[in-house]
Amino acid sequence: MDFKPTIVSFLCNWCSYTGADLAGTSRMKYAPNIRIIRVMCSGRIEPTFILKAFREGADGVLICGCHPGDCHYHEGNYKCLRRFHLIQKYIQQMGINKDRLRLDWVSASEGKQFAELADEMTETIKELGPCEVKNTMEKLDKIC
Amino acid sequence: MEEKRIGVYVCWCGNNIALMVDVEAVSEEMKKLPNVVIAKNYKYMCSDPGQDLIINDIKEHNLNRIVVAACSPRIHELTFRKALENAGLNPYMFEMANIREQVSWVHTNREEATRKAKSLVVGAINKVSFHEPLDKRSVDIDPATLIIGGGISGISAALLIADSGNKVYLVEKTGKLGGHTANVDLTFPYLYSAQQMIDFKIKRLINHPNIELFLDTQIEEIFGYVGNFETTLKINTAEKVELKFGNIIVATGLKTFDPSGIEEYGYGKLPDVITSSEFEKMLLHGKVQTKEGKVPKNVVIIHCVGSRNKNYHEYCSRTCCMTALKYSNQLRSALPHSNIFQVYADMRAFGKGCEEFYTQSSRKDIMFLMFDQQNELPKIREAGKKDNCNLIVEINEKLSGEPIEVPADLVILMTSMEAHEEAKNIAHAVGISMCGNDFYIEKHPKLDPVATTTDGVYIVGTCQGPKDIPDSISQAEAAAARILAIILQGSVHVEVTTAFVNEEVCCGCQTCICVCPYTAISFDEEKNVSVVNEILCKGCGTCGSACPTGAIRCRHFTDKQILSQIEGLMSITLEEV
Ligand SMILES: Cc1cc2nc3c(=O)[nH]c(=O)nc-3n(C[C@H](O)[C@H](O)[C@H](O)COP(=O)(O)OP(=O)(O)OC[C@H]3O[C@@H](n4cnc5c(N)ncnc54)[C@H](O)[C@@H]3O)c2cc1C
Ligand code: SF4
Ligand code: SF4
Ligand code: SF4
Ligand code: FES
Repeated sequence: MDFKPTIVSFLCNWCSYTGADLAGTSRMKYAPNIRIIRVMCSGRIEPTFILKAFREGADGVLICGCHPGDCHYHEGNYKCLRRFHLIQKYIQQMGINKDRLRLDWVSASEGKQFAELADEMTETIKELGPCEVKNTMEKLDKIC
Repeated sequence: MEEKRIGVYVCWCGNNIALMVDVEAVSEEMKKLPNVVIAKNYKYMCSDPGQDLIINDIKEHNLNRIVVAACSPRIHELTFRKALENAGLNPYMFEMANIREQVSWVHTNREEATRKAKSLVVGAINKVSFHEPLDKRSVDIDPATLIIGGGISGISAALLIADSGNKVYLVEKTGKLGGHTANVDLTFPYLYSAQQMIDFKIKRLINHPNIELFLDTQIEEIFGYVGNFETTLKINTAEKVELKFGNIIVATGLKTFDPSGIEEYGYGKLPDVITSSEFEKMLLHGKVQTKEGKVPKNVVIIHCVGSRNKNYHEYCSRTCCMTALKYSNQLRSALPHSNIFQVYADMRAFGKGCEEFYTQSSRKDIMFLMFDQQNELPKIREAGKKDNCNLIVEINEKLSGEPIEVPADLVILMTSMEAHEEAKNIAHAVGISMCGNDFYIEKHPKLDPVATTTDGVYIVGTCQGPKDIPDSISQAEAAAARILAIILQGSVHVEVTTAFVNEEVCCGCQTCICVCPYTAISFDEEKNVSVVNEILCKGCGTCGSACPTGAIRCRHFTDKQILSQIEGLMSITLEEV
């Protein structure tokens, strides 16, 4: 059977969530694999959220915030960017391919870009195949 | 702890959701979840009967948490929060799942869409399980208003607010009031004089005791929040003025498009090719003539210059068609024997009195020629020695399908309206967003057209998008009325989704203080803990994700709420489809 990945996506309220809404109001079609969680700012996104998503079986995590310089709270997205690089390193140590975690900027007017991003991310994850972290961790849980 | 009793409501949104999502299956599935007391689906949840459904169920079944799966929370979250309040429940015991913008409108396989919708609703149910009642907080409103931009929009808003007895600070970056309206001669469709309209308003404004005017001044930074903003104006190198105000109106207006980049038109190289703004100047001086000072025999007016074309702006500038017709009328009176050509792409006579104006104008011996704005712009070239004119305009006439050449002594380019280059600076100063064309974005394009996503900041006139004078004034006065209503109340409710430090867990590392963009966190030396000032905190949550001990709780987006939402989202995947 076809591999149908699940991707958890964190979007900031002001730009990216609005951009995703615009993709909807413009009836742009994209892959159904993305599940969105709204946070006020990408600066709110902490490593535990991302790890939790993988732990629950997500095959990818997509974070979107306002473009650099456009964060509603001035610089939350820069803080997110810094954290992103650290988390990417960290998940690699856990054996998760770094491309399973992606950060991108989507403005309120970029509905099309959001739809394309969702498709692109789905393609990337399909190529990578299912993420095994959940299973590994479940096994570990049993052993311990 | 109190028993959790959750009500779930899945909206059809007419056919908008129900066609792509099996709403019945979604509500049935939710009935199986722990703590879900009731799960229903209904045609229009946001309608009065839809809201009553929730209100009655809350009362009858003692529900204490509600989930609505419908459109984007950006549209109806407040509607439903109010419904909860009406039923006596704290409005924050609510969560929305967005199954329209994020599901039914963007997906094509009904089964997959239904599964995704289910997972989003489970996520929302999980999150709402951990919601806590939050107390409303209100702040007093400073009755003064800051208006940025002294065009017809800013002036109109200023007068209305000042007439009510409240203070207005009007900041204009140039040395002169009136904006573009002050450079227009007559106005379509009734040919009233723009000067008379605006001069009267400017006089009243300058003498108004409640209006303080700052010319040649620009805003740099604005601090605060609705009700209590402040800024420092640099009047010149030595002088600084500090202002405090409760609301802001952005009325920075438009810029006209520079057509030098359109090769076909030769603007800047061919002296008798001019822009509409330059033509207004001629009309104001009462002299329509060529560069050489001759009376033009043939006048060609080209529409949509910089508008409705992928290479420039895709949008329609809305006012230029009627402005162009206004020119034919003015030209016909000034030069009764001239040949006048309207070279247009589509004639847009959108406003009151405009279609009639079009019919009238077309009876004045004016030639209408249509071109293909997307694929083939007209070309202007210098006329030859033998030609009896200055310029030749080549058009592939769309209706006849024939290529034709039109003689011209004067060509008027109907240039588009665009956003200012520095639009971004103001957007940053007041905390609002811009659309792809750099016009400012309203809170909701249909339901909330003059407010923005930042409370206390309004956008009016052409900084929001191309429009004519009456539409600009309508917006300006609408925003003024909104502000007066708030001033009258004396206070407003502000977001209570702020951060909060659990003193028992805080280790005093002060990481949060370093990351807060609003210096909302300070350090209590005595207790060795950080403290959030909830008036200054805007609830971005950055401190929460930086705090190493988990001492900070970002209300309404707590770790527990989000982690549980993730579990919910992941509980149903597409796999089985
Ligand atoms: C050639 C032409 C002909 C037209 N003819 C007609 C007509 O016949 N009928 C009609 O209804 N409409 C007409 N219009 C449209 C009309 O001019 C606009 O609808 C109207 O001027 C919009 O007013 P506004 O106040 O929104 O913007 P503007 O007129 O652009 O005023 C904005 C003001 O804000 C100031 N400003 C900008 N940035 C800042 C800043 N950062 N800080 C402080 N101040 C700032 C500007 O200096 C300006 O004074 C015409 C437009 C043009 C270009
Ligand atoms: S109003 Fe008329 S001239 Fe102006 S952009 Fe729209 S269609 Fe073109
Ligand atoms: S980051 Fe956390 S532990 Fe450190 S001072 Fe702030 S609240 Fe306390
Ligand atoms: S939520 Fe944002 S604004 Fe509020 S204290 Fe934390 S970092 Fe500062
Ligand atoms: S609000 Fe969008 S990234 Fe901060």
